[in-house]
Amino acid sequence: MEKFTLLGKNRKRVDTAAKATGEALFSADLSLPRMLVGKVLRSPHPHARILAIDTSKAEKLPGVKAVITAKDIGGDKWGVFRYTQDQQFLPTEKVRYVGEEVAAVAAVDEDTALEALALIDVQYEVLPSVFTMADAMADGAPQLHDAYPNNINVRVKIDVGDIEKGFNESYLVREDLFSAPEDTYCQAEPYAVAAQFDQAGNIEIWMPNAGPHMKAKPLANVLKIPLNKVRVRKITIGGAFGGRSEISPADVICAFLARKARRPVKIVYSREENTVATRQAHALVTRIKTGVDREGKVLAREIICHMDGGAYSSTGPIATSVPFLCMEQAYRMDNVRFTGYRILTNKPIRGMFRVHGRAFACGVDVQLDRMGEELGIDPLTMRLRNARQAGDYTPTRSYVASCGLTEAIIRVGEKSGWKEKFGKLPPYHGIGIGCNSVQTGFPMGIRGGSQAFIKLNEDGGITVITGIVDNGQGNDNMVVQIAAEELGLTPDDVQLISADTEVTPSDPGSYSMCETFIGGNAVRLAARDVKRKLFRIAAGEFGTGEDELTARDRKIFVTKNPEISMSIAKAVRIALSRNESISGEGSYWPDVDAKREWVKNPYGQLSEAFSFGAVIVEVKVDPETGQVEVLEATAAQDVGFALHPQVIEGQFEGGIAMGGQGGMLTEFLQWHEGRVLNPSQSGYLVPLAIDMPKINSIIVETIDPKGPYGAKEAGMSVAMSAAQAYCGAISNAVGVSFHDYPITPDKIVKAIEEKKKTKK
Amino acid sequence: MKKMKRYSLTLTVNNETHAVVTPPNRTLLEVLRDDLHLTGTKEGCGEGACGSCTVLVDGQPVRSCLTLAVAMEGRTITTIEGLAQGGRLHPIQAAFVEHHAIQCGFCSPGMILAAYALLNENPNPGEAEIRRAISGNVCRCTGYAKIVKAVQSLAGEGR
Repeated sequence: MEKFTLLGKNRKRVDTAAKATGEALFSADLSLPRMLVGKVLRSPHPHARILAIDTSKAEKLPGVKAVITAKDIGGDKWGVFRYTQDQQFLPTEKVRYVGEEVAAVAAVDEDTALEALALIDVQYEVLPSVFTMADAMADGAPQLHDAYPNNINVRVKIDVGDIEKGFNESYLVREDLFSAPEDTYCQAEPYAVAAQFDQAGNIEIWMPNAGPHMKAKPLANVLKIPLNKVRVRKITIGGAFGGRSEISPADVICAFLARKARRPVKIVYSREENTVATRQAHALVTRIKTGVDREGKVLAREIICHMDGGAYSSTGPIATSVPFLCMEQAYRMDNVRFTGYRILTNKPIRGMFRVHGRAFACGVDVQLDRMGEELGIDPLTMRLRNARQAGDYTPTRSYVASCGLTEAIIRVGEKSGWKEKFGKLPPYHGIGIGCNSVQTGFPMGIRGGSQAFIKLNEDGGITVITGIVDNGQGNDNMVVQIAAEELGLTPDDVQLISADTEVTPSDPGSYSMCETFIGGNAVRLAARDVKRKLFRIAAGEFGTGEDELTARDRKIFVTKNPEISMSIAKAVRIALSRNESISGEGSYWPDVDAKREWVKNPYGQLSEAFSFGAVIVEVKVDPETGQVEVLEATAAQDVGFALHPQVIEGQFEGGIAMGGQGGMLTEFLQWHEGRVLNPSQSGYLVPLAIDMPKINSIIVETIDPKGPYGAKEAGMSVAMSAAQAYCGAISNAVGVSFHDYPITPDKIVKAIEEKKKTKK
Repeated sequence: MKKMKRYSLTLTVNNETHAVVTPPNRTLLEVLRDDLHLTGTKEGCGEGACGSCTVLVDGQPVRSCLTLAVAMEGRTITTIEGLAQGGRLHPIQAAFVEHHAIQCGFCSPGMILAAYALLNENPNPGEAEIRRAISGNVCRCTGYAKIVKAVQSLAGEGR
């Protein structure tokens, strides 16, 4: 094992002092000279044809500087894939959900902008709507888009092995249905975007994003300008969790308002707009049929999942696949058939969520528990008997190079006292376990790889230039740590220029936790490129071989004879005076199967590395009120290698709050005819400090062969397995398997009452 | 739209006095952010439920999004920008950095001020008291574990 100076240590993050003082600027904090306030007019109807829009009164209002409608933007349609391009940034023909953007204004102040919105007259022809997946798929149902008959937006089919044979050979077969309504990200920072153009037609734009380059390309397309005129700037981002991945109509609207008004414009969303008009998480209905042998080993599984995608495709093909992929990674299943449908309804748009698919993963796990019970095998043993192992291929043919799931299960079991507790707890106390696996990125087309540059100064300091974005998880720190470690510098010697499309090279963005693996590898290679050049100079001066040198403490020295050394600054100065290039460049492209496609060919290497998590939760349920008190949560995850243990622990702890405490107890959206009834902060209950249990974190390291220093995804596996563990623990406490999530007090009380009735 | 009557008032923020002219319907949050450019105070929900806009008024944490600016004449206001002195982080800020209690950082200003008010009132709070005191502030990233640790690290200090 290599000895590191910075990696694996809990040093201060490079970004947090500025966040502690209020100095860090978020998008809504920006103010530019002559900046206008932008506001968006939204559809009051779930489904309606736009007959006419009259903006003349709004345009005449003093203080209004620009009004835009679909006419200004044109009919361009956005979609993550060529075959899912179906969303116009301002719709030309019809609106498809309550809250969809219809027009926008820019004015000198907020009051004027709001008054102008009220003066825009939109004539609608209200159309019949569909709000449930069953209604949407019915023959003769209103169609949201011509391209998707019966409103079936995406259908993913995966069929591996022979499930009929597997079920026939099974000792026990069970089939259950699981469901959950939509949930929402509720990022701390409501969406905000600011934009301005210069005389040369360059746009500068700031907004929360999970990848600046993923914003720049669609902006260039819709603005009909080349990419080098689109400057998506770095800005502090208040959380993403999967909900800041795509271009937002707000970005495009803000840009067009700024171009039309010839002044900077800022749009700041309210909490309610953030809930309704950015992205939500899918509602799911999942049917799972599993067959096991006498020892609890899964022999066959069939899963049919329907996801309510709302009005447009968004990341549809990915979103439809990922809940299954996580489970096929976590558990061995040789014979499996998965059919996933994404259905369109007249509701807001759904994207990928950090804890995507609770009514999928919890179903797989709680069903395993129930089958184990029938076989007399406890849940932890059920997991161990089905756990993925290193060297396996997943059913869809991804090679799993590193896997510490078994170790995670064993250690989480020991730490939580599973053996002493399971089956031995007092009435209405329960303990449950969940396991999950997340892919460290997936094929992203042209954006699949990351590139990085490093520039050196004559004082020995460096500037790292990378497209990596930090949504709050600590990616900036990760980059600085890696570059400083490789070059024997301190974090103070490193300046970071990141996530700015004017200067930073292409990068996939912070998707599926791939920044450390892909971007981190690129930065590491750039640093190695620099090191090679520095060592060539030093070796010439020392009269030694380049491979005999080490860089540490801002110096280059002969490894076996540290007396012989020179400062990095000196090596840089020598290079400059000799006109030798000293800058570094690195690029990393993960070894994934480029032919793999979400719908047409869902087979082949999906990701280069997979992470694995296991969570155990102990709960106490009040049988009178149905309130759940969580006594303790223990999380273990195979993260490959912990570049920064406390940052990773922070991911675990946040994951338990979001996936378990919030996701399983309180978080869901309520509806009335396509309207969200609880879009506000007070209506959508996220966990508070008083709600949270004691959390134990266990970091499992397997040193992935391809990850930078062995690192891979960290945190998402815990967020997902936390939901499963909460579900298992509550089910264990009550003695009833819960199939509809979140498990709110009313459901618990009802389950207890029904159980009592059946007993009588 | 009819222009609302405007009021002149003097606000004392972070030991500096500011002359502000504002219509009566503007919140302290709006005046702090838009007029005084103290953007460390954040708006997360606009209805007093998330705590991102927490500032101290006469040492007590208040929701600046629910507080009218015109009611603040003669009161002493502290925002996050008022904690660090001479370029040095306040011990609470330093503890948040040290203990990795900050991830995205959007809730941090309000959270730090809530912790500040608690420690002023009770220099030696137990874990339950800390959790209660910061439960008016929503954090979506951390699960609160490291925030509680950061505040705990200061308990009992300065006595």
